[in-house]
Amino acid sequence: MDNWRRTLRSIWAICWKDVKIYYAKGPIVVMGVLFPFFLWLAFQIGRGLEVKEGIAPLIAITAFFTSSAVTPIILPWETRQRTLEMLLARPITITRILIGDILASMLFGLSFSFLPVLYGLLLGIVPNNLGTLLGLLVLATLEFSTLGVLFSAMPTDVPADVVMISSAVKLPLIFVSGTFMPLNRLPEIMRCIALFSPLTYVTDLIRGLYGGGNYFPCILDISVTALYTGVFVLLTVKLHKITVIRRLQLK
Amino acid sequence: MYAVEAVNLYKRFGDIVAVDHVSFAVKKGEVFGLLGPNGAGKTTTIRMLTGVLKPDDGTAKIMGIDVHEEPIKAKSLIGVVPEEANPYPDLTVRDNLTLVGMLYGLTQGDIEERIRGLLKVLDLYKARSRKARTLSKGMRQRLLIAMALISEPQVLFLDEPTSGLDVISARKIRDLIRSLAKAGVTVLLTTHNIEEAGAICDRVAIINKGHIVALGNPDELKIKTSKHMYLLALFNKPLKEEELAHYLGPYEYRVNGRKLSVICEDPGDVVERLLSYVKSSGVKMISIQTSQPSFEEVFLRLVRR
Repeated sequence: MDNWRRTLRSIWAICWKDVKIYYAKGPIVVMGVLFPFFLWLAFQIGRGLEVKEGIAPLIAITAFFTSSAVTPIILPWETRQRTLEMLLARPITITRILIGDILASMLFGLSFSFLPVLYGLLLGIVPNNLGTLLGLLVLATLEFSTLGVLFSAMPTDVPADVVMISSAVKLPLIFVSGTFMPLNRLPEIMRCIALFSPLTYVTDLIRGLYGGGNYFPCILDISVTALYTGVFVLLTVKLHKITVIRRLQLK
Repeated sequence: MYAVEAVNLYKRFGDIVAVDHVSFAVKKGEVFGLLGPNGAGKTTTIRMLTGVLKPDDGTAKIMGIDVHEEPIKAKSLIGVVPEEANPYPDLTVRDNLTLVGMLYGLTQGDIEERIRGLLKVLDLYKARSRKARTLSKGMRQRLLIAMALISEPQVLFLDEPTSGLDVISARKIRDLIRSLAKAGVTVLLTTHNIEEAGAICDRVAIINKGHIVALGNPDELKIKTSKHMYLLALFNKPLKEEELAHYLGPYEYRVNGRKLSVICEDPGDVVERLLSYVKSSGVKMISIQTSQPSFEEVFLRLVRR
């Protein structure tokens, strides 16, 4: 029991540190609100869509962007700052450090994803099942936060290198995941590509919860999201264990 | 039981063997120095002992606990100031200490109490609300030491603790190491400052190209590793090397104006030769003295072998 308490406390310590250093910063907060909102607005305006139709994509891209925004840069940045070795010499493992990083990112992603949900509630746009939506958001932010940490497994101390790669993956995902255009309206080839995107299933389920019609059954959306999350977690831990040694040798 | 035990530690990176079957043991309450030139394997050895790196072969133990089999348990007993490590620049002094205290599983009450004590001892109390990025190098190093001490460790690892510090800051840290050792804390340090190691450490290991080349008390090492004495003589006029070479031919010597230093095993023979030189050249010898080689000279001889 005591060991568990210590483990949780050390994970919480990493989360607390991340929030203080990376998330509780004006520019990050502004970016977390503005970027998804304006991206969404650019597609919403001029298409004559009702607000109700736009809430689901807004929630999905907010969860996706905010959860995966900061995590890719934390480890490269801490390698460069020479704070990573200081952490690794303490009674904590690389796995617990990664869990702490993911937890902080989830909290950040969740708090921003709730804003469009609240906005919808204020306008009377209520999801079919609020509990399922909240559960899905927890799972989705875990998935996207882990994806962000996975990018940072690259053994570099230059954050821009990781940002470049993560942006090159993340931005196209928005357009091929049925975020702005429901899957049934996408061309065949795009629909095939969409099957491989982790964002597809989250967006599909949120759209269904707001009455927009699911393309896949709910259970499939949840299962694939959980599967992607599991794969990302395993890959993240495995790759970071390998690359942390090379990271420490960077001078 | 030893406080720190390295048994046959071996680590390679690609084709390079960084640490080649290094073994040593540090007794409780001892101040132990690991010395060596850049790239000798000191930091890799420390990283294996502190659980940051896994050895390819051999074992590292802290208070009898295998660091790689029970890393959390072993790391809970140690405090570490890694080489070139930094506190979080965007956290305050207090927050940096709080973070490390939380990693050791301390309660908030314990953390607060220890922070107060450490900040006073390390002269950082007034800077407690300053972000680490605004601290001087000396203050930053003291903060790192405070971070290593917050868990009240039984063993303290200091990798180059005084490197790049001014004389006053370096002295404060050396005094702290001495007082910690008096309080029973085992200290394992690496340093480039050979004379500092000679003065602070109870025992030193000299490491070169991944091997331990000497191990023992600094004074014993001087005697064991060098039979040579240093003879220093001062003359009333600058010396002429060509004439001197005729008398001191078999010896290694250096002339600097009126000063002469000779490395020899038998100072008596050198004195006789110098007296002959004085008679023939007409210079006058003002003073003559012999000395043991400095610890730095012993170190240089060992690592050049």
